[in-house]
Amino acid sequence: MARRQIKTALNTRLSTFQKIYLLLIAGFILGPFIPLIIQSFAFRWAWPDMLPSTWWLEQREKSLLPLAWDYVLSPYSRVWEATINTVFIGSVVTVICLAICLPAARVLAREKFRGKAAFEFFLSMPLIVPEAAIGIALLMIFISLGLAGSYLGIIIVHLIPTIPYMIRMLTAVYQGLGRDFEEQAMILGASRWQVMRLVTLPMLLPGVVAGALFTFLVSTNIFLLTFFMGQGKIITLPTLLFSKIAGGTLDASAAGITLVVTIPGIILLLITERFIKEEAFGKGFGN
Amino acid sequence: MKKLLIGLSVTASLLSNTVLAEDADAVAFREAFLSGTATWEDVQARAKEEGTVNLYYWGGSDPINIWMDQIATAGLAELGVKLNPVRITGTKDAIDLVLAEMNSGKGLGEGSVDAIWVNGENFATLKRQNALFGAFADKTPNSVNIEWNADDPRSLLNLRDFGVETGNAEMPWSGEQYVCAANTKRVDRADLPATFAELKSYLEINPGKFTYVKPPHYVGNTFVQAAVYAHNPDGTGAAPFQNSIGDVGAEELARLITPGLEYLKALEPHLLGAQGGNARYPEDIGALDGLFLNGEVDMACKFGLYAVATGLNNGTYPEGAEAFVFPTGNMIKNKNYLAIPANAPNPAATLVMADYMTSVDAQVTKLKFTGMPPGVDPWKLSDEDVQALTEASPGLIGVTQADLDANTAPDTNATLVDVIEATWLEYIERDSTDSIDVIVARAVENLEK
Repeated sequence: MARRQIKTALNTRLSTFQKIYLLLIAGFILGPFIPLIIQSFAFRWAWPDMLPSTWWLEQREKSLLPLAWDYVLSPYSRVWEATINTVFIGSVVTVICLAICLPAARVLAREKFRGKAAFEFFLSMPLIVPEAAIGIALLMIFISLGLAGSYLGIIIVHLIPTIPYMIRMLTAVYQGLGRDFEEQAMILGASRWQVMRLVTLPMLLPGVVAGALFTFLVSTNIFLLTFFMGQGKIITLPTLLFSKIAGGTLDASAAGITLVVTIPGIILLLITERFIKEEAFGKGFGN
Repeated sequence: MKKLLIGLSVTASLLSNTVLAEDADAVAFREAFLSGTATWEDVQARAKEEGTVNLYYWGGSDPINIWMDQIATAGLAELGVKLNPVRITGTKDAIDLVLAEMNSGKGLGEGSVDAIWVNGENFATLKRQNALFGAFADKTPNSVNIEWNADDPRSLLNLRDFGVETGNAEMPWSGEQYVCAANTKRVDRADLPATFAELKSYLEINPGKFTYVKPPHYVGNTFVQAAVYAHNPDGTGAAPFQNSIGDVGAEELARLITPGLEYLKALEPHLLGAQGGNARYPEDIGALDGLFLNGEVDMACKFGLYAVATGLNNGTYPEGAEAFVFPTGNMIKNKNYLAIPANAPNPAATLVMADYMTSVDAQVTKLKFTGMPPGVDPWKLSDEDVQALTEASPGLIGVTQADLDANTAPDTNATLVDVIEATWLEYIERDSTDSIDVIVARAVENLEK
C-alpha cells in the first residue's frame, strides 16, 4: 500500500522533460529487441524494406525443413538442453561463489592485515587477463587432471571471472554494515548463530542477492572458457548462440535463439528486483 | 590464437616432457586396419563396442544441423553406432583441441575428437603436427565410390587438398566449386562480367557494387587465387600453383602473383564503400550473403555450387539471384573432407561413420536436405545412383553443369595460400609501400619460423 502511494506521488511529480528522458532510456533498452522479434518471424527481410517481404508462416508448408521458430522449438536447435545446462551451471557457480566470498568479504571488510591493498588489487587480476590466455593454459592442466569436458571443469573455470565481482560487491556491503548492529544483538543476549541468522544475513541480503544475480548473469554469458572446458560437448546458451551467429548475419532461427537466451536472465532479474526492493526498501534498514 | 596455443603447448610439453599415452588395444586395431589384416566385420564389431563417435563440424547452418541430428544419427544408429554431432563455430577450434590434447599426452583412444569436417589449411596443420590417424580413406567398403587411381587426372581432388597430399588420411565428403551469383533484378545478364577486366569496367560504371570476402577467410583467399591464376604472367593459369613453396621459391612466386595483386590493388577503389574512403571486405560468407540480399552488392562469389537454389529456398538470397560464369576458366573447384585425428577416442566407430558418410544414401539425403554437393565421384557409381543424386539436387540456376565443368580450375597449394594471404594482407589491407618481391620474401621467411 505504502509503495503504491509513493509511486503515484512520483508519477504526478514527473515533468515532461523527465518523462521524455525515461522514454529514451526505455527505447534504448527495449529497442534492440524489436528487430530481433520481427527477424525471428521473417523468411526474407532485405534492406530497405521496413518489414520482411516474405514471412516465415507463408513458407512454412513449402519448406522441407523446419524454419524459424519451428527450428528453434525443435530438438534440432538444442535450445532446451542448452538452457538447462546454462541454468544448472549458473546456479552451482553462484552457490559456490557465495560460499567462498561471504567469509572472505567479511575478512576483507573488517580486518586489517599486511599486504591487504596488494591482495585486493590481485583479486581483480582475472578481470584484466584475457579469457583466451586463461582458457588455453587451464585447458592443458584440466586435460591432465581429467576435468576437461566435464561439468565440474566448467564450473571451476566459471569461478575465475565471477569471484572478483562477487567479492567486491560483498566487501562493499560488509563495509556499509558496521559492527554496531551485531554487537547490540550480542549485548542483548543473542548467540553467535542468532546474530548471523537474525541480524547479519537479513541486512546483507540485498547485497548477497545483487551479487548472486551478477554472478549468475556473468556465468551464463561466458563463451570462450565454457567452450574450451566443455570441449564443445557441453553446450550452453552462449556456445549455442555463437555457433549460430558466427556467420555474421542473424537469420530467423538465430534471432529466435537470441530471444530465448535472454529469458533466464529476465526471469531472474524480475525475481531479484522484487526481492531487493522489498528487503531493502520495504522493510527498511533498521527503521 | 593457434600460434599462441601451439607455442604454449610446445612449452608445456617441453616442461613436463610428457610421453604420449596410448590405448594399446586401439593402437593394435589401427595397425591391423591400416595394414589390411582386420576385416570390415572386425571394424563393425569393435565399433559396436566403442558405441559412440564424436564428429566435430561447423554448426552454423540449420539444414546441416537438422540433417546430422535427423538423418545421419538415425542411419548410424542402424549400424550400432551413436553419432554425437558436436557443433563448433570454427573448425580451427577443433584442431586446437586435438593438438592441445595430444600435447597433454593423450594418444589414440584417449582424446575427445573422433572426426572433423575439414579442408585446406586446417588439414595441413594436422598433417604438419603429425596428428592424423593414418591412410584409412581408401580402405572402407564405400571407398569404391571415390576415384583413388592417381593415373586418372580426375582423382586429383581426392588425393590433394589445397595442393597438400591427403595421403588418404581424410575422406572426401563433399565437393564444391567457387561460383558467383548476381541479382538479375539489378543487373542485366548481358552486362555480367566474365573476366576480371570486365569486372573492373563494370565497377567503373557501377561503383561499389561488388566486394569479396576478406582474406584470411578461405572464401576470400579463393577469390585472390582466381585473380592470381587469371593474371599469371606466363599464361599457365593454375599450373605453377600446384607445387609447394619449397619447390616454387619466393622469388618465382612473387613474379607469378605480382600482376594478380596489382589488379586487386587497382580494383580496390571501385569496391563497396571505397567511394566513401574505405573499401569494405565482409569478414565471412554470412556477412557477404547479407550484403547481397540487401542489394548493397550486385554480385557475390563463394563456394556454393547450389548456393543460389539453397539461398532462394531459405530466404538468404534475393529473388532474382542467378549464378553466372566468372572468371572464365578459373572457377576453383575443391572438396572437403572428414579427417580422423591421431588421438581419436573411438577409431572403429569413426571408420564406420566415415564409411556411412560416403554411402550413396547419405550423399543423396545430404544433397537434398543441405544442398551440399556430393563428395563421391559420379563415374564410379551405377546409373541408378547417379540418377538418385541428380533427382536430389536442388538444381543449378543460371549456369549449366557443362558451363561449370568447362571452367574448372584446381585449388592452390596450401603452403602458397599462406604466402599469398600474407601478401594480400600486407600489400592491400595495410597498404605497404614495399614491393611485392620484398613482401613475399618476408612472408616466406616468417612462415618458415
